[in-house]
Amino acid sequence: MLTARPFYRRPFFWAVSAPPLLATLVFFVGPLLLLFYVSFMSPSSTQLFGNHATFDNYAQSLTDSFMLLTIRRTLGVTAAVLGVCLVLGYPVALVVARMTPRRRLITMMVLLFPLMISNVVRAYGWLEILGHDGLINLVLVKLGVIDFPLRIIDTFQAVVIGLLTILLPYMIISIANSLTAIDRSLHEAAESLGANPLRTFWHVTWPLSSPGVASGLMLVFFLTLSAYVTIALLGGVRYKLLVSAVFDAVSTLQWPQAAALSFILLALALIAGALIQLVLRPHRVQGRG
Amino acid sequence: MDSTAEADVRFDNVTKHYQNVVAIKALNLDIPRGTFFSLLGPSGCGKTTTLRMIAGFEHPTQGEIFIRGERVTDIPPYRRNFGMVFQNYALFPHMSVAQNVAFGLKMRKLRRDEIAKRVRETLDLVKLNGFEDRYPKQLSGGQQQRVALARALVIHPTVLLLDESLSALDKMLREEMQVELRELQRKLGITAVFVTHDQEEALTMSDRVAVMRAGVVEQVGTPSEIYESPRTEFVAGFLGNSNFVDGVVVNASADGAGIDIGGEQIRIDGCTASAGERVRLALRPEKIDIVADHDVGNRESVTATVREVIYRGAATHVYLERNGVRMQAYVRDAAGLEPGREVRCAWAASSMVLLRDA
Repeated sequence: MLTARPFYRRPFFWAVSAPPLLATLVFFVGPLLLLFYVSFMSPSSTQLFGNHATFDNYAQSLTDSFMLLTIRRTLGVTAAVLGVCLVLGYPVALVVARMTPRRRLITMMVLLFPLMISNVVRAYGWLEILGHDGLINLVLVKLGVIDFPLRIIDTFQAVVIGLLTILLPYMIISIANSLTAIDRSLHEAAESLGANPLRTFWHVTWPLSSPGVASGLMLVFFLTLSAYVTIALLGGVRYKLLVSAVFDAVSTLQWPQAAALSFILLALALIAGALIQLVLRPHRVQGRG
Repeated sequence: MDSTAEADVRFDNVTKHYQNVVAIKALNLDIPRGTFFSLLGPSGCGKTTTLRMIAGFEHPTQGEIFIRGERVTDIPPYRRNFGMVFQNYALFPHMSVAQNVAFGLKMRKLRRDEIAKRVRETLDLVKLNGFEDRYPKQLSGGQQQRVALARALVIHPTVLLLDESLSALDKMLREEMQVELRELQRKLGITAVFVTHDQEEALTMSDRVAVMRAGVVEQVGTPSEIYESPRTEFVAGFLGNSNFVDGVVVNASADGAGIDIGGEQIRIDGCTASAGERVRLALRPEKIDIVADHDVGNRESVTATVREVIYRGAATHVYLERNGVRMQAYVRDAAGLEPGREVRCAWAASSMVLLRDA
């Protein structure tokens, strides 16, 4: 009985899955363990890391007021990006999901178009618009609305705007895919039972789209945490996030410090992922039966 | 019976266009209270559109729809108080059986204990007690069907709409559900509108059947009226098999007519055509007996040649040819019949039906 046999005992299971598993172990899990080890070692000026174990790397990161500010900013930017992505992305996804398959495909391509341009190019584009001598300031000064150029660049807003333009498509596509998968007759069933459009949305559409919302939120969250170019160019030296701190630690050769910060980032990602799953409970829709 | 006063659902000159395509043409239909009413027809005939207009999922291009005398044409589905069982059941996958059934009551803001009581009663009714906490995916097709039915019935709807609701079930289960659904409908006295393309199902279950074709209702009547006295060639051909015979009316009176069908003259009961008119007649294969000449009696008869004899268990299908036109007869006893033999086919004059031009 083929169906009764557990997947790992089926023929070819290991033959097919062993190579990628092995590659993941060697090139991903291995280095990660090494990094984890390094994060608990003392710094050294001559080698990658010193030779005695310590919690200092973590303790410093979590007590230093600048680091705490950076963590707070990171969480603030991430929350803003997630919030705006969800609020702007969901309605767009609703529209996209109702299109004919052909129009949906074209719209998806249009949505993905910004992602075809390099992050660097796009960030410089925003600099041209938001910068000290950028388009917005130019227009506002010329119109006499302001006397001196505003500082838009190197702020929270600049970083959020820059990230949104990259990440919104991920959110829209992720939600639209799960909305498209909802059988239209479920909406009609809800209506037939007396649910108005708002209640149909709340009791049927929203819960059934939760897998897409959850995966969209996680994608956006993880990509925000790891975005560097956008943050470096639009946040500059004045508005740094955790990922910039990792980069700074590496460029000053504080490898153990960089490793510890990386694990703080990873921990944030894991906690956020768990929270998203906990709140949206996408398994309600997926894992039954 | 004054059907307009008793009608639970009424279509008043309803037309429905999709862009340039006419889906429903000037439909006038009364669905009497408490009946099991079937909309029967091939795919694309407009039967589903008709059902969806009762629900309010489709809006008529012209005309009005009434439910219990109230004009509902512009009322959205969620304020129409109907129950619907969808073709694929459309159970909410993220809700348990109990939550699915309770949904409509929750929308009506009933008290919690009242909801629990009615959910329990309705699950009893469809014999699904004990399944409250299961999820749709954990149920068989038949069980899902019952949940869908319970969910539609628990809200005490004015009409129960069934959209090809049994077609996903296998044959055995389907026949079982046909009987059960019919019993339930009769017990509750609820008006049910059932969309199906299966003529046997429509005949089995319905009080009345509307046969539809290309957006038009060809005939409305009880199953036996539809089957025994089809008014058009389409109805005669769609429900079971029919032999079609062309002829010319020789003489006509109130109680019958003599018709010349290519050399032989036969009589039919009741005739609306007049002498000299060309007419088309229908005759069910099972109404034909193959007999010896002296056994014809006072029945009508023609001579035909046997072409094929196929044993089908309950009956034997005899394929015949007469004047180059094929005919079929279903007989019990086919002893002695073999291809090439000339035989006498006899039927009662009342069995043959004069068709109206479609």
